[in-house]
Amino acid sequence: MILTSLALVLLAVLGAPLFAIIGAGALLGFARTGVDLTAVPIEIFGIAETPILLAIPLFTFAGFVLSESRAAARLVRLSAALIGWLPGGLAMVAVATCSLFTAFTGGSGVTIIAIGALLFPALVQAGYSERFTLGLVTSSGSLGLLFAPSLPLIIYGIIAEVSIDSLFLAGIVPGVLMMLALAAFCLWRNRENRRPMAEFSWQEVRGAIRESIWELPLPVVVLGGIYSGYFAVSEAAAVTVVYVLVVELLIYREVSWRRLPAIVRESMVLVGGILLILGISLASTNYMIDAQVPQQLIELVTRYVTDQTSFLLLLIAFLLLIGCILHIFSALVLVVPLMLPVAAKYGVDPIHLGIIFVATMELGYLLPPIGLNLYISSYRFNKPVLEVCLATLPFILILFVAVLLITFIPALSLALLPN
Amino acid sequence: MESRPEVAGSGPAERLGRRVENALLGIVLFAMIGLSAYQVLLRSVFGGGLAWADEALRLLVLWSAMLGAVAASRDNVHLRIDLLSRFLPTNWRRATAVVVDLFAAGVSAILAWYSWRFVAETREFGDQVLGTWPAWGFQAILPVAFTLIAYRYLAGLPRHFRPSSPPAGLDAA
Repeated sequence: MILTSLALVLLAVLGAPLFAIIGAGALLGFARTGVDLTAVPIEIFGIAETPILLAIPLFTFAGFVLSESRAAARLVRLSAALIGWLPGGLAMVAVATCSLFTAFTGGSGVTIIAIGALLFPALVQAGYSERFTLGLVTSSGSLGLLFAPSLPLIIYGIIAEVSIDSLFLAGIVPGVLMMLALAAFCLWRNRENRRPMAEFSWQEVRGAIRESIWELPLPVVVLGGIYSGYFAVSEAAAVTVVYVLVVELLIYREVSWRRLPAIVRESMVLVGGILLILGISLASTNYMIDAQVPQQLIELVTRYVTDQTSFLLLLIAFLLLIGCILHIFSALVLVVPLMLPVAAKYGVDPIHLGIIFVATMELGYLLPPIGLNLYISSYRFNKPVLEVCLATLPFILILFVAVLLITFIPALSLALLPN
Repeated sequence: MESRPEVAGSGPAERLGRRVENALLGIVLFAMIGLSAYQVLLRSVFGGGLAWADEALRLLVLWSAMLGAVAASRDNVHLRIDLLSRFLPTNWRRATAVVVDLFAAGVSAILAWYSWRFVAETREFGDQVLGTWPAWGFQAILPVAFTLIAYRYLAGLPRHFRPSSPPAGLDAA
């Protein structure tokens, strides 16, 4: 048993696709306990018995269409017009636009490429040092995953079987906290250079609003609809995708019909990858529960870890490690089913755990030497990875403090929830 | 299971396969978009909805997942970790790539086999979905998709033996 597990881990680090690793684990596990192996496809068919999953292809496709359009440029222009005149305003524009864009497009790498590329020259031109700018755009690229309609929170809700609406509510304060922490740091670091980028101008605000008038209702409708409970998450996804298609294809016409098949393919390839491991992990989770793996894990952990504080510290360290080697979706399906019962043993609320999970994983994207966003940023801005690491380091520390606060003050996540 | 290991390049078969995948993905995705938007419209305007729509949507999600997974195998972009191989010398990297692809093909083939048995069983029992439709017809996507994925990993093997195999892409997404 230990040998096969080791072999699977070795295959995984050599680059075997995760669905095959998880699938092999489930097949071997069921075979060992004498369960008929048709149990595995039956579990995969569970994809067709989970209504909320509809939100995943719809939001992913909408996000891909949005990133193909010039929505990012309009968003930057509008927020620059609204808050760019404040001292240090442009840095705050970066933080705010990255968060909103990431919440809607899901992949933080996309944000660095789409928004970072717009902001980088603007920030340098406004007198921010190149190194500071590099760190800011790299780290802002992973903000926003705590806000609706973030896919990682949706997937956590599915796996942990907790209300996704509650998760979205719980993410608001921690998400804002991470944004404020970065914005405050930007102000403090640039206290000598508080030259606003431009005078406030009604004309520019009007121009920017007119330019993005068709996209402005989208966050209002989607976020308002979800947070007020008018839309179920998959309904909000349906509205989003229709809205985005109409606006970007028919009104702005920035995404051409000829590009559409390629966008469909790119987004559905990602969806297929996520849902396949999700489906297969339904099987492996089931096997692990049969084999009482969570109980054994609880026994093991409680033998060495006695109180909640040390458990949470250990959890963060573990999630940071996982966050820099695994894509957030893979990490969710692999780790959450095992983590939930252990965390419950230490009295950690499952909603709070979801927020800790996603917030820490966001940070894992940035962790040297293997955090993915460091490489995306290095590639996009044509800087050595080491330089990106050093530039991002202070931001990582700030976000780490925010993660600690989010972890050890459950009220930040739970206060907005109706009991 | 098909196992003609041909080179996955840009020949007519490759182009046709890609086109068929794109067409099916487009049909399934736009069916999901249309049907779910129509449901929202019905609910918010008339307070009702189609009785069969939710089940149809769930089946479409399964189909989009499996078709997307097949396409992901063609593009070789399945989620993976891949920590070690980038530090290995070229020859080693080729050898491990062959082992890894054979492993993925093997697991997919086993999944295809048991999916097929699952489908055969529901067919025997006469399970139904969407009212009176036979369930096995919708479940058949599982064995078909896993067979194609297994085939894709086998068909991709020869590229590891070519002199300048392209480097693996970024791991995530």
